[in-house]
Amino acid sequence: MSDLVLFTVIDIVLLIAGLAIYLWIVGGQLTRIATNLEECNDLVQKIGGNAASIEGNLEHVNRTGGVVAGALPLLYGMAEKIVVGATYDPETVPERGPAVPASGRRRSRLHDAIGYMPDGPGSRAHAPLADTSEPS
Amino acid sequence: MVFALTENQETLWQIANWAGLAVVIAVALLLTILVLLVHRIDKRVKNIKATLIQAEANTADAELLNTTAAGVDLVLAEGLEHHLFLGRVLGKVRS
Repeated sequence: MSDLVLFTVIDIVLLIAGLAIYLWIVGGQLTRIATNLEECNDLVQKIGGNAASIEGNLEHVNRTGGVVAGALPLLYGMAEKIVVGATYDPETVPERGPAVPASGRRRSRLHDAIGYMPDGPGSRAHAPLADTSEPS
Repeated sequence: MVFALTENQETLWQIANWAGLAVVIAVALLLTILVLLVHRIDKRVKNIKATLIQAEANTADAELLNTTAAGVDLVLAEGLEHHLFLGRVLGKVRS
């Protein structure tokens, strides 16, 4: 019978000790979780405070940016008109041919100086003028 | 005073003791599962905290949107000045 009593006591002690140990472990874990959750709560409050100003300011930026974007085509349209109006546009000059001497080819006097007449006495005429007529 | 138990009573006590031991083991098993689950919760709460710290750092500069809004307003005002200037110049170029 004493064995049975001892076994029963051990049984009960094991149950109580096991429950106590597990309670201690779980209690520690839950305390840590509670601390972390409190810090999370503070962080969420801070994030909420930070984000409160985002919506209003972002709407402001979007509205103003939309106005700027809508006005820019008008501005560069005006600038293009100014560029077109202020650019110098000279009148077109007609195409000219190459300049030719008015008197044609000059006669050489070197032959006259030495009395040389290659084509005879009758050929002492002026050298023929440059042909300025248009080729047919 | 001596209590005498019959054999049947002793057997029942024995069974009760073994059943108690089984209960102790079952409780230990269930509490181990509980500890593991709570540990997992603890780990995930730590992850959430780290994410929230990062999110807090990311949104810490959200106040600068105020400055941005003021800057965009200045851009708009400057654009209106440009509009007026270009309107004057365009009138002179055309005339």
